[in-house]
Amino acid sequence: MRNFQINVNTLEKADTERMETIPSTERRKFLKFGLTITGLFLGGSVLSLKTVGTGHAAVGGGKALAMDFPYSPHYTMVIVQNFCIDCERCLDACRSTNHVPAHGYRTDILQRAIPVNPGENERVFMPILCNHCNQPSCVRVCPTRATFKDKTTGIVRMKIENCIGCKTCMAACPYNARYFDEDKRAIDKCNFCFDTKLKESGGKTTACASACPANVRMFGDLTDPETDAYKLIHAPDNSLWVLRPEQGTMPNVFYMNS
Amino acid sequence: MISNHTMDNADFPTSNLLPLLIGFALISAFGLAFGLHSLVVGHHHTFGTTREVPWGILITPYFFFACLSTGLCIVSSLGQVFNVKAFQPIVSRTVFLAIITMATGLMCITLELENPWRVGFYSLFSPHPSSNIWWKTTIYSFYLIFMIFNFILLLLKRQKQARIFATIAFVLVTLGNLNMNSDMAILGTRGFWSENYMPLYFLSLSTLTGCAAILFFFWFSKKIGGQRDNSESESENITSGTSKLFMGILVGILYFTAVKMMGGFFPQFTKNPEAMFLLVRGSFALNFWLGEVGLAVLLPFLIVLITRGKNPTFLAIAGLSCLIGSFILFYDLVIVGQLIPHYHQYHVVGLPEYYSYTPSLHESMITMGAVFFFLAAFIGGEMILRKFSMQ
Repeated sequence: MRNFQINVNTLEKADTERMETIPSTERRKFLKFGLTITGLFLGGSVLSLKTVGTGHAAVGGGKALAMDFPYSPHYTMVIVQNFCIDCERCLDACRSTNHVPAHGYRTDILQRAIPVNPGENERVFMPILCNHCNQPSCVRVCPTRATFKDKTTGIVRMKIENCIGCKTCMAACPYNARYFDEDKRAIDKCNFCFDTKLKESGGKTTACASACPANVRMFGDLTDPETDAYKLIHAPDNSLWVLRPEQGTMPNVFYMNS
Repeated sequence: MISNHTMDNADFPTSNLLPLLIGFALISAFGLAFGLHSLVVGHHHTFGTTREVPWGILITPYFFFACLSTGLCIVSSLGQVFNVKAFQPIVSRTVFLAIITMATGLMCITLELENPWRVGFYSLFSPHPSSNIWWKTTIYSFYLIFMIFNFILLLLKRQKQARIFATIAFVLVTLGNLNMNSDMAILGTRGFWSENYMPLYFLSLSTLTGCAAILFFFWFSKKIGGQRDNSESESENITSGTSKLFMGILVGILYFTAVKMMGGFFPQFTKNPEAMFLLVRGSFALNFWLGEVGLAVLLPFLIVLITRGKNPTFLAIAGLSCLIGSFILFYDLVIVGQLIPHYHQYHVVGLPEYYSYTPSLHESMITMGAVFFFLAAFIGGEMILRKFSMQ
């Protein structure tokens, strides 16, 4: 047997492994790897998803990175979770702007009790909405293309006149983001205010994002470095996550704590 | 060649069946009227489905009858396409049963849709080949057409042409069955059944229900014809091949049922531990143990074993028991997977451990209407078959 001995003096002289000692390029590589596995760069090239273009991971920076996104503008939303105070102004704004009936909702705020210590929970508010996934199971299952990925923006939209009301998209959505609107006799869902606030604002914001007093919902374009969402997603110190990543749907709604 | 034996049971005039046909048709119409009412006022007011549980009991008869039709087509194909002699005497009636079961299934799914009138137009002019549902609807529709032609040609005794249609229908329905599995598997996002054994399970289950239906309805056909006891041996001969196949598949289904049990007791054996727990040990345990295990598998298995598959009446009881148990099985298959809350792993305050669903009066009546529609169609078919066999 060979004996291994730790030389304390050598260890003391060695570089530390703290964050600040890791070169910037390494940190950027790690971040991009993380974003890739959460689906941000993958774009969704599953054979069956005809409406999604062929996006590829971009490990460059700036312009090259933006050009490799499957959509332009590639809309996204970053939820700064710990800022949410459950004032529900976003919900009201969504309802009034998009004429959401009383029997449904496009977005909601869930209250979580996250266990932090034995017998101790931390209360957190978690806004939810359609994740406008790059590989949306709702689009995959729709037999009449009533729901589809917008070829320009990547927004998951509805063509209500095509909806046969089979509700398979509701069953397929892992985020409970859809409901059947009895007035329209079709499925209704968040479309990032595609035909309302987004249109009015020239593609800059949504009703819920503009109504939020605490900057919880940061709407933006993944191909535009000037938008707040882009900056939050690309800031190396921010940890982002998506909901139910195990489903492989590659959401475009990201969560973080400030 | 198909034997003329298929057109048997000509001993009694068709008028005997008319009161039964009218009775079943009236009950069916009464039930289906609830479906029309739901279409007018909207499912929101009449169905027990919710945003969280969007698929209700009406998906059950659709899956049940579609799989039943698949099984019937497989069994009839054994005689008609693959020339297995033991199955040749039952081809005509089995083909007819396959037609009316698929028609009943498609009617159920039509009434489950909020806007069924859009299906034809948008399936044709806005098709989505990535969607399993689109494929399934298209395949089953074509299958139905081919089977109808097959049946007409059989009645006209043009066996060769009928066989061509039967072959295409057999291929179509097998593809449709595999699509049905994919349809469910894609909904793995909801804790549905995406287990690896599902394609084989669906196909086996379809064949099992097909055999069960043959065993029961061939016996029933004789009983409503009022035939004498000496016909029992004849029936035994006709369905002896089916009873052997039934027994063989029961053994296979026993294995799948055991796999389900394992999933319920040992989470490491399943991809859907929450759903399997709910099914095997939770609030659906009665459905599982009484319906899926007892009625669908064990009781038929014991009956066939004890009677050695030779007594038509007991075989019919085994078949009926299997059909009822399978219906419960399909209900569990559709509902249980949906009851796992979307955000169950996020410690959401106020989120129930499981969603709930109870069929509404409308849904139950439509289901009843569908079953009686099938029974009325069966009686109508008996009248047609007997009329043709008398000519």
